[in-house]
Amino acid sequence: MEKILELKNIGYAYFGKNEALRNIDIDIHKGELLCIMGQNGSGKSTLLNIMNGLIFPDSGNVFFHGKEVSEKSLRESAFNASFRQNTAFIFQNSDVQLFCSTVFEELMFAPLQLGIMQEEAEHRAIEMLRSIGIEHLKNRSVISLSGGEKKKVAIASVLTINPEIILVDEPLAGLDPKSQTFVIELLLALNRAGKTVVFTTHHLDLVDHLQPRVIVLSEDHTISKTGTAEEILNDEDFLVSVNLIHEHTHKHGDEVHKHYHSHYVFHKHGKH
Amino acid sequence: MSIEFPAFLTEPNPAVKPVTNRRKNRMPFLDKTLKTVAGTVKTMYVHSETGARDKVLFRINPLAKFFSFIFLIVSISLAHSIESQLLASGIILIFYLISGISYRYVYKKILVLSVVFGLLIFLPALLNVITPGKIIHPLFHFEKESQWWIYRIPQTIGITEEGTYVVTRLFLRVLNSISLALLYVYSSSFAQIVKGMKVFFIPNTFLMIMTLAYKFIFILSKTIEEAYLALRSRLVGNVKDKNIRSIISGRVFFIFKKSKSHYEQTYAAMISRGYTGKITLRRTRQFWLRDLITLLTALIAGFAIIFMQQYGKNS
Repeated sequence: MEKILELKNIGYAYFGKNEALRNIDIDIHKGELLCIMGQNGSGKSTLLNIMNGLIFPDSGNVFFHGKEVSEKSLRESAFNASFRQNTAFIFQNSDVQLFCSTVFEELMFAPLQLGIMQEEAEHRAIEMLRSIGIEHLKNRSVISLSGGEKKKVAIASVLTINPEIILVDEPLAGLDPKSQTFVIELLLALNRAGKTVVFTTHHLDLVDHLQPRVIVLSEDHTISKTGTAEEILNDEDFLVSVNLIHEHTHKHGDEVHKHYHSHYVFHKHGKH
Repeated sequence: MSIEFPAFLTEPNPAVKPVTNRRKNRMPFLDKTLKTVAGTVKTMYVHSETGARDKVLFRINPLAKFFSFIFLIVSISLAHSIESQLLASGIILIFYLISGISYRYVYKKILVLSVVFGLLIFLPALLNVITPGKIIHPLFHFEKESQWWIYRIPQTIGITEEGTYVVTRLFLRVLNSISLALLYVYSSSFAQIVKGMKVFFIPNTFLMIMTLAYKFIFILSKTIEEAYLALRSRLVGNVKDKNIRSIISGRVFFIFKKSKSHYEQTYAAMISRGYTGKITLRRTRQFWLRDLITLLTALIAGFAIIFMQQYGKNS
């Protein structure tokens, strides 16, 4: 399968001293569904920022379709336009991503910046509103939307550029169960439609739902394991070692249980 | 995971007597800040949704609405008779009725602003010292006429007929201008007002900055509200000014850090979506029949206000 993004030996430290990533090597293929897992502070979001060319690694290189993504290469307007049009980033906090005055303008922002004609941009925005089921929000101000609505608008606003690869930072963060289900189904549908989807999470149930290829970042900001969803989810000792599950106590009637816990759907009860 | 709680956490609290003096618990700065911030959030929230209302005046093309508004304001400024101003008041009242905005909701604001800017500062013009004419209500009587600086102080100071006419006309003009301005503001969302500014060829980048600032004020206000509510929930009794200053400066720094992080992430989101330093915004092109009718109505109303003065008393 064709490689879209290649990350070679990536290292990054905030302010040159707080290490966030070390020796990261990842190849992302066309049409792939990839999950980057790790506990809080393991460097997941930083990695997505690097993939999207928003920050640049201290060491190592990023390649998009074989061409290096760097500050210098992104100054070339042709490459910048091509890169931005093909890589979309959905931020964890939708508030920072939505900066236009109305939902419709939000959906048109990216196409207009990338030089798409207004008629075409409007057509795409209307189609996306219909597709995501948020037509009723068209003229609403973004500041008055609920968390779930904001997430839907944020997703729709990047899909209007028809990206090849979609980077999603913590897709379920701050969403109610209904909105979570919507986002999960949407990510699956996008992947089935041929889009490459890369997302970060520490929710094991999301990994179980989507069955992606999984890369797990460890506490020391390196890749500690790569595998299929099944391989990762079934390795409880490993999940404990990277703080993705922990021993948990709860009650069933008068009986107190202890077992490994995450929000993972395979809630394996047992006495330990 | 087993958690061992400290002993105090599992025992009931002894009765706590907060250290207070006889004065009432006062933290007016907190309440004032919270009230102001909550008001800002509410106003912005309500206003942000204004454009979504399904009324005729809310659906007019922002450019048509803005141009009509400007034309009417100019007409009101050019009208020099009370009759013209009364006609303008009648027309504005009709616009309010059409818009569906409750006049009761805005009349207090209109009256307060009109009294301050249209009546109080023009009150001296009632007197014959400023506006000579026929005295209809004498106020003071001196022995003789005198001169002070550039003013001639007449023997009798009083309210003149001409002064009353001038002040009434100015008051009505200010009242009409304020009513019209509030009508425009309350019948347009922030987005529509920003689009309306394109009439003056304001660059897209500037309009985008205004939109960002508007949203940012909303988010920041909410952050301040939450931070201050958290602070209030943990403060009991009177706190020394010195301690308050220390707490508040800490909060201010927190809000500064939060806003810095927010703008950095928003900038990254803009870059991610193709922003390269030059903003392209959506052009508003669609002109519907209702927009043309609005423009035409504003033209007719404006000219009617201007020509009405021919039938009134000019001064």
